[in-house]
Amino acid sequence: MKKYLFVRIINILITLYIIATATFFLMKQLPGSPFDEERLSNLSEEQRIEFYAKYGLDKPLSEQYVLYLKNLVQGDLGDSFYFKGQGVSELIAGRIGPSALLGFQAVLLGFTLGIVLGIIAAFKHNTMWDFSTMLVAVLGVSVPNFVFAALLQYYVGLKLGILPVAFWESYSSSIMPSLALSLIVIALIARFTRNEMLEVLQQDYMLTARAKGLSQFKVIYKHAIRNALIPVITILGPIVVSLLTGSLVIENIFGVPGIGSLFVDSIKVNDYTTIMGLTLFYSAFFVLTMLVIDLLYGVIDPRIRISGAKE
Amino acid sequence: MKYAWSKKMSILLLSLMVLLAGCNFSGKSSTEPTESEGGDKPAEQSRGKDENVLNMSLDNDIPDLNQVKTTDAISFAILNNVMEGLFRLDENNEPQPAMAESYEKSEDGLTYTFKLKDGINWSNGDPVTANDFKYSWLRAMHPDTAGSYASILTEYIKGGAVFAAREAEADAVAIEVKDDRTLTVELVQPTPFFLGLTAFVTYFPLNEKFVSEQGDMFALTYDSVLYNGPYVLTDYDQAKGVSMEKNPEYWDKENVAIEKVNMKVIKEQSTALNLYEAGELDKVYLSSADVDTYKDSPEFATETEFRSYFIQFNLGKEPFNNENIRKALQLAYDPEVLTSVILNNGSEPAYGLIAPKMAGVDGKSFRELQGDVIKPDVEKAKELWEKGVEELGKTPEIELLISDDTVSKDTGTFLQSEYKKNLGIDINLATQPYSGRLDTMRAGDYQMAVNRWGADYNDSMTYLDLWEKPSNPHFRGNYTSSKYDELVASAKTEADDKVRMDKLLEAEKLILEDGALGPLYYDGLSYLQKPYLKGLVTHPYGASPELKWATVQ
Repeated sequence: MKKYLFVRIINILITLYIIATATFFLMKQLPGSPFDEERLSNLSEEQRIEFYAKYGLDKPLSEQYVLYLKNLVQGDLGDSFYFKGQGVSELIAGRIGPSALLGFQAVLLGFTLGIVLGIIAAFKHNTMWDFSTMLVAVLGVSVPNFVFAALLQYYVGLKLGILPVAFWESYSSSIMPSLALSLIVIALIARFTRNEMLEVLQQDYMLTARAKGLSQFKVIYKHAIRNALIPVITILGPIVVSLLTGSLVIENIFGVPGIGSLFVDSIKVNDYTTIMGLTLFYSAFFVLTMLVIDLLYGVIDPRIRISGAKE
Repeated sequence: MKYAWSKKMSILLLSLMVLLAGCNFSGKSSTEPTESEGGDKPAEQSRGKDENVLNMSLDNDIPDLNQVKTTDAISFAILNNVMEGLFRLDENNEPQPAMAESYEKSEDGLTYTFKLKDGINWSNGDPVTANDFKYSWLRAMHPDTAGSYASILTEYIKGGAVFAAREAEADAVAIEVKDDRTLTVELVQPTPFFLGLTAFVTYFPLNEKFVSEQGDMFALTYDSVLYNGPYVLTDYDQAKGVSMEKNPEYWDKENVAIEKVNMKVIKEQSTALNLYEAGELDKVYLSSADVDTYKDSPEFATETEFRSYFIQFNLGKEPFNNENIRKALQLAYDPEVLTSVILNNGSEPAYGLIAPKMAGVDGKSFRELQGDVIKPDVEKAKELWEKGVEELGKTPEIELLISDDTVSKDTGTFLQSEYKKNLGIDINLATQPYSGRLDTMRAGDYQMAVNRWGADYNDSMTYLDLWEKPSNPHFRGNYTSSKYDELVASAKTEADDKVRMDKLLEAEKLILEDGALGPLYYDGLSYLQKPYLKGLVTHPYGASPELKWATVQ
């Protein structure tokens, strides 16, 4: 187990290094610079270069790269070019809270509701229950979440006035965006769970369990659901990462001061340090979540044993 | 099993609580003593017009409140209401004495002596002195502390340019503090709009003692800035917006009516509109898609900005080194169609370069004095085109460079179809991201491009100066005309306002008739404003809005 973890962590570090390098050089291929204003087009080349020199942007790319890595190893992500005077780490720390809360609630709601709906659909296979659940699922996948968000905002926020239309002022501000985000999760999980359940229900060991005389609850809970959920865990990782790291559209619609729009905006204005910081943050978050999920497999499914565990 | 389950749940709940705590809903850190008033929050949310609060929106995050460095309209919108320069623009965009009580201008128009008001204070009670202006202006010019707006000082203040280039010390800059209330500035050339400049953000004062105390933390939080304007910030979050309250130290506080102003970040226009409908915003700008729906509403209005859009022909490239071809493409479209049918957002069609209402001389605007310069004429355009093609000996391939935002793309498609319809030619569109377009233009790698310029001050020089021996000629279409250069250069040193204006009028006419530019439109905005909100002033240039005279009944 220890050896496995060690190898995985080394792998993670290599992955992150490759991502950092690739992003760094790709990002520098973007046209323009962090200071692209029409105003600066009035400057002569020498004046422009002098202006860039203040930020070390006049140095050759390789030199900038080495410098960036050096700072990175010391845990310094640098200062944002756009939000002048602000460190990238503080910027991310300040924005991640709202996004994470929305994502967390959406995952929680999405998984609970999705699994329940999926199980119901599987057990009531080919009945009205099944069809209506799957209708919801199809709608959830095919209706983009910003449409759902706009509808929620207009009817629930503006017409009914139950929840705030937008802004981030109290806990109630987080309800509608979370709902909007969870729609696709519900749909995905429900369909996935239903299919897995149907497959598991056909397995021989279900017949064995029933033949042993186990109660219906025990059959479902211990044998059917646990086995059906293993593949669901696989898609948990990407969903968690994508939701917890914020959604550009949903955050913009509800005026949430989250991290989602920061990434897109930073690319638009060539805010190099912020682009790098966020890319690394996302990647690190993703690979770590994948690690946790791989470890979870072992807990959930005794058949899967992490290599080296037997020693 | 059951135990494990409940343990999992409690971990989930715990992490949820940690998350909630980290979410910073109120915008103030929980250690703030002001949090104790949180009890009456619901009452605050259900506010109507009976409350003396104004709610506005900002369409993006707030990048930087450091006044000498910041360059964007959102930061300006905030700073303009919490700070104040020597002058402030009134509802007619005329500079009125603010921190200054009076001023004297020397005979040659080069030296300004400002007398500050008595009893003007910073929000901490310290007096605002002449030295605060000198300190701030030097800071705004010095390469270590300045941003890209430094040139708005260095171009006018004597000694500023050499100081900014590190070629001279601060004492070379002709800003002199005679006493606490007297400030003298010497200018490079007669500048009739100088008073207007002192109303601009980069010219606001700074308290030296306070700024050095704050160091790197200056202007990062609401309490790391000192205010001398009508309002003070009580809350500042780059991603959420700001809250302001009336400044009790402000010299003219009797004339500030609204007690509290919120400016919140809302990036999505449709959300802002919903908030307006819900009564949570008092003014909202409309996207052109919404204009038709609200056009007949009594709350609907438009405002124009001093920002002109135009085609920049690149005279250094085929086929636009041929004057007939340039002129043909300049005359072959009518901007009226573009503004009324396609943009539909309050923009006005342009038949010249200088925006309407921009100052001229003797109380008349530049446009009133000049009239239309370019009159679209399809017949003449065709004739010129054929002549041009003959001279070139072939039909040229033409590519139009545009940015990749919706408005630019619409403009590009409009020109493409007009040229097809009126001249029978196919032009290609080259679409690039905004900064990519600037890069390409700087390299001179384009034939014609849609470009724009927003005025820094209320004078046509802000535009016409751009083509007078530009430091990057490619970006300005490689337009070279010794007559034009001579007109603009002599206007700069001309002390007689009337003679000066004649030169500028002639310069605009010349550059347009030479076919270096094709006028498109003057930028405009459509908005809705609640009927109970009165006296909210916006300016077509510089820092806007002015909350000082606004009232809500």
